[in-house]
Amino acid sequence: MGPSESIVIRGIQASPGIAIGKVHLFEPEELHVGERKVPASEIDREVDRFRTGLSTTREEIEQIRETIRAELGEEQAKIFDAHLMILDDVTAVEETVRTIREEHKNAEFAYRRTLSKIAEEFDVAEDEHFRNTAADVRDVKRRVIRHLLDKPRRSLGRLEGQVVLIAHDLTPSEAALLSKEVVLGIATNSGGRTSHAAIMARGRGIPAVVGLKYVTFHIAEGDTVVVDGNRGIVDVNPSEQALEDYRRRQQQFLALEDSLLVDRDLPAVTPDGRELELSANIEMPEEAELAVARGARGIGLFRTEFFYMKSARLPEEDEQFEAYLKVARLVSPHPLIIRTVDVGGDKFASYLGTQREKNPFLGWRGIRFSLEREEIFKVQLRAIFRAGISGNVKLMFPMVSSLDELRQANALCKQAQQELKRDGIPFGENCEIGIMVETPAAVMIADSLAREADFFSIGTNDLIQYTLAVDRGNEKIAHLYDPFHPAILRSIKTLVDTGHKHNIWVGVCGEMCGDPVSAVILLGLGLDEFSTSPYVLPEIKTIVRSVSFAEAKTLADKAVRLSTAADVRSFVEERIVKKFPHVLFP
Amino acid sequence: MLQRTITITSDPGIHLRAAAIFVKEAGRFKSTVWVMKDGIEVNGKSILGLVSLVAERGSSITIRADGSDEEEAISNLTRLVENRFGEEE
Repeated sequence: MGPSESIVIRGIQASPGIAIGKVHLFEPEELHVGERKVPASEIDREVDRFRTGLSTTREEIEQIRETIRAELGEEQAKIFDAHLMILDDVTAVEETVRTIREEHKNAEFAYRRTLSKIAEEFDVAEDEHFRNTAADVRDVKRRVIRHLLDKPRRSLGRLEGQVVLIAHDLTPSEAALLSKEVVLGIATNSGGRTSHAAIMARGRGIPAVVGLKYVTFHIAEGDTVVVDGNRGIVDVNPSEQALEDYRRRQQQFLALEDSLLVDRDLPAVTPDGRELELSANIEMPEEAELAVARGARGIGLFRTEFFYMKSARLPEEDEQFEAYLKVARLVSPHPLIIRTVDVGGDKFASYLGTQREKNPFLGWRGIRFSLEREEIFKVQLRAIFRAGISGNVKLMFPMVSSLDELRQANALCKQAQQELKRDGIPFGENCEIGIMVETPAAVMIADSLAREADFFSIGTNDLIQYTLAVDRGNEKIAHLYDPFHPAILRSIKTLVDTGHKHNIWVGVCGEMCGDPVSAVILLGLGLDEFSTSPYVLPEIKTIVRSVSFAEAKTLADKAVRLSTAADVRSFVEERIVKKFPHVLFP
Repeated sequence: MLQRTITITSDPGIHLRAAAIFVKEAGRFKSTVWVMKDGIEVNGKSILGLVSLVAERGSSITIRADGSDEEEAISNLTRLVENRFGEEE
């Protein structure tokens, strides 16, 4: 097979950094488990063989546990305690022995059948923590079967040279054996930010992107690949020019990581004195610490879907309140901006009544969901206002497309506050209430919205998708998804100018402000706040601190008047090369 | 035979790690330990049995112990669940 075509695939940022190297495709090991009838005279021996298999597996897991404990600490090693208990699990062992004795099946068949049945029960659980257990059960199962089949242990530690590991998925014990000396980067089809592979990669400083769905289908052994953990993309066989660019970013990233401890407390201020509020986007409360460690002042977008998707029940008011308050206190006095729940779209949960829709991004999501499910919405609003006692909490509504929606939502905020007052529960009375601007409709009526909202935060990902009518997940048209399309630049300019006319601040919380070149334009357009992924934040701060606002403004003013995306791109890149070469060539 | 019903207050409930802690404690006793939720009863010394109950926060479980040290078993295991398994995030 020749080299694959050049293609960029998007996934979930799992561990920061940029890896460039040759692909090693990690295929799941095939273990052929035959079904054999064991003669009555050999049943006892078969049971013994099973028990011996368990004890050699136990030694192996204990050894791995010790390696991990020594290297990554007790907390990371604990998962293997659970594996040891799965191995010794009385129901699993008894059921296997029963199958051998009563059905006269061979040990590996009996064990496989028993554990597969158990894993399947976990597969259907709604809660992610319980679903993860299925992976742990299968991991132990494979290990035992391998010993029973007397197959040599396959070790990722024995990979040759330095490679970028591409896999469908990695089991906890596979992930545990990855060494930074050999594995430059990791990309997997499945997984999320809390999967074992992601946690191990972060623990060892290996760049990783997960949740890529089909990355293994687009890649062949020996391809050159870039894993950009900062932006959550995998670039297969990039052009020589793109490769150069990645190499520079990689160097810059490494230099920034070295200086992070020194620079993280510096403000995002341009040499000519324009200061931006540079904040981070987070999905889970735990990510706030990472954001602060990487130099974020506040949190510009706290997505709250996590609370609703993590299990099949509504999050309680107290539970949300405690989580919000904890993050608010961590970043105080800088702002924490909480976005009310944005389910629907690609995030649905049957217990909430949201479903797969034909046209999910034009469907029942964001504020539309919240206004119809007032009882759910008000619990969240109360929790947010209660966290407002810390004095730095703001809230915003997603997917607003009309003034009616903003008015209804504002009225519910008033109600929630009155209820809290009536119940004698302390809350922040002066929380700013703003909107995410993600729909072209909101851009067109920005002046009306600006009179009744306390701020605008532009969600560029959705704004671009809706304005250009492009689904960037669709490979055929993904190239049309272009932040430099004049329609986008002009929409952003309209929002900034309109907002400022009405004395409200305007920020960006989409991926666009995490791109170095776009960041210069956005700065020049007069945005007051950027909220980026914590991973790219140090890079963006360096850029803001080195670019003159006056020159960025001149550049942005001209760029907005150009007629095509290609014109914008060539103009901007040429000017940036001239004026701020370090943005492109750090 | 002793039994006690309690509500799970830890998040995300009795998942793998919490179950591991429970099983370790249950294993210290001579008594048999059973845990029931929604009419399904599993061996309290089996980690897979426990996790398969999918006992999430807010659900209630009944712990049953039978044997010479059942009293101590019930009180220790109940306390463990009430204290959110001692080390919940």
